Amino acid sequence: MMSRLRIRTIALKEVRHILRDWQTLVVVLVMPVMMMFLYGYALNADAKEIPVMIELPSPGPEARTMADKIDASQLFAVKGIVNAASDPAELFKLHGIKALFRFPPGFARELRRAGGARVQVLIDGSDPNLGTIIRNAAEPMLMGATLEVLNARQPKVLDLRTLILYNPEQRSALFFVPGLMAIILLMISALLTSVAVAREKELGTMGQLLVSPLHPLEIIVGKIIPYVFLAAVDGFLVLAVGRIAFGVRIAGNPWFLGLCSLAYIFTALSIGLLISTLVKRQQHAMFAALGATMMPTVLLSGFIFPVISMPLPLRIISHIIPATYFLEIVRGVILKGVGLRELWAPLLILCAEGIALMSVAIRKFKVKL
Amino acid sequence: MEYSIRTEQLTKRFGAFTAVDRIDVAVAKGEVFGFLGANGAGKTTAIRMLCGLLQPTSGRGTVAGFDILKESGKIRTRIGYMSQKFSLYPDLSVEQNLALYGRLYGLDKKALQERIRDMSAFLGLDALLGRVTGSLPWGWQQRLSLACANLHRPEILFLDEPTGSVDPVSRRNFWDLIHRLSSQGTTIFITSHYMDEVEYCHRLSIMIDGRIAAMGTPRDLKRESGRATIHELFLKLVERKPAAGTAPADTAPLDTAAAGGPA
Repeated sequence: MMSRLRIRTIALKEVRHILRDWQTLVVVLVMPVMMMFLYGYALNADAKEIPVMIELPSPGPEARTMADKIDASQLFAVKGIVNAASDPAELFKLHGIKALFRFPPGFARELRRAGGARVQVLIDGSDPNLGTIIRNAAEPMLMGATLEVLNARQPKVLDLRTLILYNPEQRSALFFVPGLMAIILLMISALLTSVAVAREKELGTMGQLLVSPLHPLEIIVGKIIPYVFLAAVDGFLVLAVGRIAFGVRIAGNPWFLGLCSLAYIFTALSIGLLISTLVKRQQHAMFAALGATMMPTVLLSGFIFPVISMPLPLRIISHIIPATYFLEIVRGVILKGVGLRELWAPLLILCAEGIALMSVAIRKFKVKL
Repeated sequence: MEYSIRTEQLTKRFGAFTAVDRIDVAVAKGEVFGFLGANGAGKTTAIRMLCGLLQPTSGRGTVAGFDILKESGKIRTRIGYMSQKFSLYPDLSVEQNLALYGRLYGLDKKALQERIRDMSAFLGLDALLGRVTGSLPWGWQQRLSLACANLHRPEILFLDEPTGSVDPVSRRNFWDLIHRLSSQGTTIFITSHYMDEVEYCHRLSIMIDGRIAAMGTPRDLKRESGRATIHELFLKLVERKPAAGTAPADTAPLDTAAAGGPA
């Protein structure tokens, strides 16, 4: 039989531990905000002023116009124009450029020839993302410039019109806010609970609690309650910073999002509890919790790399970890504004995982102590 | 005779290793019973079974009149337990630690305040109630442990090596407290490997390799074995330790002493 008084006693004690250990509390509250700003500015995919050079062996007016066009674009900053590059690789090393546009000596003549002119673009591929950005931008830009030089118009063959839904401006904030939500909630919940339980084992107080009339379940519930609140505060912080600093609005129902977050927090706490039954020391609990939550969440949940493009074994793992499902829910609610009707499946899986993990943790908790 | 603790053939095996081997113990109410043995002799395992923290492999036992196999929940409300390791919350104040354990044992606000006042007066902790526990000297932390284990006025106090790494003066004080509690009717079950201090016990048993090799009052034990101190008796018993697995034939007189129990 569970006693509310005893659960409250344990929960209150845990709150006291949290308040006493104010350094940890500061980390717990400041870290999400810091991560938001770090990701917010570092993950900014909108590249600007990429340093490039142009090789222009015979500077006729046509080639000049082309070079000016390149320089005028926001994306590129021309670091210099060379006559002839005997060793292009040397230019990359020497000037730190990311691309080299090579116009042939007879560019003006070639332009008016039937086969068209050839322009070579050398791209630094060491940063694949940047390389892709340059490649995607270079062709339409040069094509447009060429048409202008020739005073010609492109014959209309195909009119391709893309329309990006949900994140029309392709803002990276809309991409990292849900991801950080998934990471921070999981990390905080799993880490703090596993460390809190491991600390009691280290102190020997766990044994003391277990010889008292406390039921193991009362210990678990009492210990978990304060961390549910703490995790919820962190979730709120992420959303608040996302809204205030990055202008991310929740398109869907915020209450539904809160409910799903609680389910996710519950699952995360179960993971932490399970870890704490397997280790004896706080330090081991910390490494295990970070390893079990941080790495798979960042790499495999679809936060950074799309799940579709993963090889099968990793795709299977990504379909096991709870963050994948939570991410689907958060992106759905924040970006698409969808609710239970569309998201019942991931929510159901999340709850099922939480209940399964919690039952295993409770069983192991009883056996071990 | 009313017994607070009674076991029959209580046994705990971990795989092939027998930690506690068919022990018979009977402790009378209000008695200070010393449960001696070298490190690894099986003392802590035996205590854990009595407190309901560990399921026995075989045998039976009652604590405070309740079956250790089936009624560990009831047992836990009637016992106090203080482990060899300091097991209070160092970041909480003395009073917070006391209140925490009091509430876990279901004391209401009024009873709690009363008991904290009485207990801290009894143990001389009054002036320290507001102090953070981790900042207290060892001897005081240990008194606080005793206070926490005793706040709900248990019938039986299990003390697992309570005097480990404590200076002699604190140890002496600690034993004074034990005897005061005993005179108030609390049964004390105490393990130790300090052979000098166990002379303070009413009765004691010596455990060797999971078996009880001797049991009786300190005086009887010394007289029967012809040794001047319990320390010497203990060393003799350890030296006579037979090779593992074979039955000790030459411990017969001591086994008789063990079977004799409290007179």
